[in-house]
Amino acid sequence: MPKVLIVDDTAFMRKLLRNILFSGGFDIAGEAENGKQAVEMYKQLKPDIVTMDIVMPEMNGIEALKAIKKMDPNAKVVMCTAVGQEQMVKAAIKLGAKGYIVKPFQAPKVIEELKKVSGMS
Amino acid sequence: MSENKELRIPVEYFDNGWKKGEATISKTAISFAGLTIPFKEIQDLEKLNFEGKEAIRIKKDGNYYLHFGNRQDQIFRYLAFNLKSDRFAVYFLSPATRGGVVVSDSKWDKGYLSITDEALWFLSTSRQIRISIENLGSVGKDVRTVGKKQRVVLVITHVENGEVITSFVLCPETTMDMLQEYIKNIIDRHKPNEDLSEIEEQILTMVYTGVDSVSVESILGITTEELNKLYDRLVNLGLARVVKIRKEIELTPRGVALVSDIMKKAAR
Repeated sequence: MPKVLIVDDTAFMRKLLRNILFSGGFDIAGEAENGKQAVEMYKQLKPDIVTMDIVMPEMNGIEALKAIKKMDPNAKVVMCTAVGQEQMVKAAIKLGAKGYIVKPFQAPKVIEELKKVSGMS
Repeated sequence: MSENKELRIPVEYFDNGWKKGEATISKTAISFAGLTIPFKEIQDLEKLNFEGKEAIRIKKDGNYYLHFGNRQDQIFRYLAFNLKSDRFAVYFLSPATRGGVVVSDSKWDKGYLSITDEALWFLSTSRQIRISIENLGSVGKDVRTVGKKQRVVLVITHVENGEVITSFVLCPETTMDMLQEYIKNIIDRHKPNEDLSEIEEQILTMVYTGVDSVSVESILGITTEELNKLYDRLVNLGLARVVKIRKEIELTPRGVALVSDIMKKAAR
């Protein structure tokens, strides 16, 4: 089962994603609450896929994506955005993000997207 | 149906059951069963399933249900285009996202945004999308790439079959400002008067996401009783409805003894 690193600054969103992904057959490698922590955890945990919030304190999702891609060009990162962050999404796609999901999301759609990105479907 | 011509067409209309008849459609009105409805008096129009048939609902004071067989879509399109409504020439992309995921095969369409008493419509020659006013969620501006250029678009979120959809509208800036204000006012009119607490907002988000009640309790660290109270409030505010009442049971001593037997049987 693919291991997912969940990156989001709100504890509620992390719990929500953990619940969705776990029930969708993913293993949860870990959770980070900002980009800086995400980069460190990526190094240690080597997850198969990352869900990355865009707006976060310390280091935002774009910067974290950049750092992860530098470390591992094959990293599979799915950006997790709120409506109205199109410009950041575009930057993320250019930097190699494999997909993005828009909040509010529905569990089956999130699972479908992550399965697609991780090559499960 | 163009110029001054009238179209006479077989129709089934609902009047204490489906009845066969003939409809006449002109440039300005539709007539059937001895009744004439001028287009400018139609308050709403909708395609739906009614009493076992795919029907067109025409609202004018009351509701009229009509079925035009294999010309249903053509008639619906004609009626939609002729509705008396505020109408603005726009480009639209609908749906842009569905349930939080981008709809990759959706394309920009040239047409009209039309606002009636009960709905907002995207109308083009190929599509007639109706969004009931009570299904509107939010409206705001954002920048999107349209035709390889960065443009400010109106982002409208709405609900369709239990999913949040976003649609984009591109039009001149002054029209966009006016549309944004107009749609925002409509949305505000339909909002509940009371503010929600953080935990109530979280519950709404989880229910939308598809999280079950047991997981909601676990994520929020609350008891079933507390959750039931919060559910009641959301129901009372008109933001949710009860679809299932679950029973929780515990075993009696006889039940416990039976489980022991079941385990023994399974081990044999």
